[in-house]
Amino acid sequence: MRIGVYICHCGLNIANVINIDTLRKKTEELADVAIVSDIQFMCSDFGQDSIVEDIKKHDIDRVVVAACSPRLHEQTFKRVLEKAGLNPYLLEIVNIREQDSWVHMDDPQMATQKAFDLTRMGVAKARLLVPLKNKIIKVNKDVLVIGGGVAGIEAALNLADSGFHVYMVEKEPTIGGKMSLLNEVFPTNDCSICVLAPKMTDVQNHLNIELFTFSEITGITGSVGDFQIKGVKKPRYVSEDKCKGCVEECARVCPVEISNPFDFGLGKAKAIYMPIPQAVPQVVCIDSKYCVGCGLCKQACPADAIDYDQKEEQVSFSVGAIIVATGYQLFDATRKEEYGYGIYPDVITNMELERMLNASGPTRGKVVVPSSGEIPKRIAFIQCVGSRDATVDNPYCSRVCCMSAIKNAQLLKERYPDTDITIHYIDIRASGEMYEEYYERTQSMGIDFIRGKVAEVTEDRQGNPMLRFEDTLECEICEESYDLVVLSTGMEANEDDGVSRLLNLARRTDRFLSIAHPKMRPVDSHVNGVFIAGCASGPKEIQVAIAQGGAAASRVVRLLNKGELETDPLSAHVDSDKCIGCKICEDVCKFGKIHVVDKKAVVDEISCRGCGACSAACPEEAICMRNYTNEQILAQVHAALEVKDEFPLIVAFLCNWCSYACADLAGTSRIQYPTNVRIIRTMCSGRIDPSFVLSALKEGADGVLVAGCRLGECHYLHGNYNAKHRMHALEGVLEDIGLSPKRLKVEWISAAEGERFAKSIESFVDDLKELGPIGSEILENSR
Amino acid sequence: MSDPNVLKILQDAGIDVLSCMQCGTCSGSCPSGHYTILNTRRLVRKARKNKDMLHDDDLWMCATCYNCQERCPRGIKIVDAILSIRTIAVHEGIMLPEHRAVSQFMLEYGHAVPINDATKVMREGLGLELLPETVHKYPDALEDVKTLLRSCEFDKLVKD
Repeated sequence: MRIGVYICHCGLNIANVINIDTLRKKTEELADVAIVSDIQFMCSDFGQDSIVEDIKKHDIDRVVVAACSPRLHEQTFKRVLEKAGLNPYLLEIVNIREQDSWVHMDDPQMATQKAFDLTRMGVAKARLLVPLKNKIIKVNKDVLVIGGGVAGIEAALNLADSGFHVYMVEKEPTIGGKMSLLNEVFPTNDCSICVLAPKMTDVQNHLNIELFTFSEITGITGSVGDFQIKGVKKPRYVSEDKCKGCVEECARVCPVEISNPFDFGLGKAKAIYMPIPQAVPQVVCIDSKYCVGCGLCKQACPADAIDYDQKEEQVSFSVGAIIVATGYQLFDATRKEEYGYGIYPDVITNMELERMLNASGPTRGKVVVPSSGEIPKRIAFIQCVGSRDATVDNPYCSRVCCMSAIKNAQLLKERYPDTDITIHYIDIRASGEMYEEYYERTQSMGIDFIRGKVAEVTEDRQGNPMLRFEDTLECEICEESYDLVVLSTGMEANEDDGVSRLLNLARRTDRFLSIAHPKMRPVDSHVNGVFIAGCASGPKEIQVAIAQGGAAASRVVRLLNKGELETDPLSAHVDSDKCIGCKICEDVCKFGKIHVVDKKAVVDEISCRGCGACSAACPEEAICMRNYTNEQILAQVHAALEVKDEFPLIVAFLCNWCSYACADLAGTSRIQYPTNVRIIRTMCSGRIDPSFVLSALKEGADGVLVAGCRLGECHYLHGNYNAKHRMHALEGVLEDIGLSPKRLKVEWISAAEGERFAKSIESFVDDLKELGPIGSEILENSR
Repeated sequence: MSDPNVLKILQDAGIDVLSCMQCGTCSGSCPSGHYTILNTRRLVRKARKNKDMLHDDDLWMCATCYNCQERCPRGIKIVDAILSIRTIAVHEGIMLPEHRAVSQFMLEYGHAVPINDATKVMREGLGLELLPETVHKYPDALEDVKTLLRSCEFDKLVKD
């Protein structure tokens, strides 16, 4: 084995603190090190070329780069190795800038000593590196879009226009979603269906889109690039091919009148009905719950489209990626009993008002008081019904209800100028483009805004709904009667979570689907190849849902366009000789990417994200994390403690994403802290096997720091919770063996908390000084 | 008189008034505030700002019906907060003469509102026993209650 070690001066950034000569000379003495060179700027073209030449000239087969953080230039130097004909995974980077020279500027001697320790650790790991190969797999370029609301429609059309074949599955008999039911939409007051209907028709007519309405997904297996989908088309008892959508013919003769589900209980429909006039497809549907089977519609249908014997139809197909655009459900207003919805007829929801305002709704666009049929003279809107409300477990803001109430107030005022309208609000949220101006316009129209959440709705002596509330700006407790009360009901995550269960998608505490990163990856799910658009991941207005549909489509194009995927080899790998089939790993993997088949664990290596939580949980050490193997990590631990050159000496296991990044940030911010820590990087804190900690203590570390992302912010969802439980249990073990549990420090820290990282090292060093060298407590107890 | 940190005492009792958004659900829901000067929302606001509120009359207007606490959209334990603040006030010696009088009844009879002759007549008319199953009926138990009250220095607390 011939290891080449390359030390970067980084101008004076490293060389001003660390004595490069000493470091080079000491490194030359390490076993297997064939050559040590120092270079002014290693990342420069010249620096890179000189390493390439060196590798070839000296027949180097492993490379250790002592320079800046691997988070900065790991890819650069991987390419250098490739250029020199070496496997790029035979590289180890030693961070002597962010985690050494920049944080120990006042102590060059110990910084140099630490740099040597870190280099020795890097060399120890490099000895055990093995060549790894990126796998190339062919992918299916078809895409499944689940949900035919506005987000799904936008995604599907983008993909179809880009040449991708799309399957769209919608559970209702028409696509269009909630947007197709709205009247006019803010902030431009254009007619909702007028802007949406052309897109709905495009979906149906697009050669690249295969549309399944009144259908549901029943099974999803496989992984990115090759998902197998199963679904059912529910019978609508009408042939889609034959029905001409004339509806008048069949519905006219149908004797069964039902309440129209698309009018939220306001209007009537027949048991054979067209969901909305602009439905896509233009095919009627028989509600089998109510149909009495009289046969009148069959006789009346001029196209002979009625088919009472229609059966559920199974469909199956394969796709390479999935977009989940399953939308939301409206808050059930009866849950806020104090507002009297369902008790007082003249208390309605905003969606019911939308339907009344809608020219093709149940009242043909006329707004009436349900109990009297008269035009209301006084209307109140109650905001935040089922939103910002811990009593119904919805602490979040539904984001659109302020604007939607303001919009409906405008429309009402335009149609009925004599009507008094009051909006009872807690805070008005009008923060989109042109929203504040829209709000102001509404105020100028004479709409009244009263700040104070309505406490309750009762009935006055005339039988009108009466609101009780505090006008908080006047500090006045009031009672006001209205003709019509509109509850601005919020959005909730779908209760029916079939799709998210099939895909193993995570949910936030607000029950909406969780996205891969709350800022940086707004439409990526935690599952490779699955994207989320629209309100499935939280309340959104139409324009944002459309933007997300487009974004999700472009993410899919980026993923599938080449027709092949290159997969990272840093996945878990099971040694089936060692595996005892105990299934602990199955439980630990929240992505569902490891399964026991025939009593042996099998990893879906293409979709595995490589956190290593399974590996740390495996009781038989049968799961190996490539490039972060137990042997490699333990070799680093051993090398860190081979010569104990400082007291206290701390070994720190830091996760790549937050805690290691945060140690880097302490460096870039030049926040100084003691030199006593030797850092080992893992991908996730969930990778940290308690045995690593025990080994470190056994080999003489005075303390061990385990740090991961803040709880709830893990890049692998639950990895840090795994670490938390394990480290908590480990504290008990330490106590049992007579060591102070204070020797193990656990921190959940974000990548932005450099100051906190430095402070935490400082305080740990102080604590350990007080405790004395490792084992002193055992000595003391035995005395 | 000391200067008690109301906010801190509430926080220590697990009552989070800081998260109040001043929506007014509490005040709008308050049956007492409908007829008196009590404005629950402002009480919470004052507690949040740690303002001197121990002398406020409305502190004593709450009937502890818990309507506000049930409905609070931020789940703030409003009535518990009011009760805690009252406790602080009493310990600071701030108490209405009426409450002191009622407390004397408590010390003497074990009841804030002891039974009187009119009630006894009503009980008889309803076919009930003259005295209810409380310390009124059991003098030994009344002695125990008195011992309890004395041992926690209730008598000193409510003394004029």
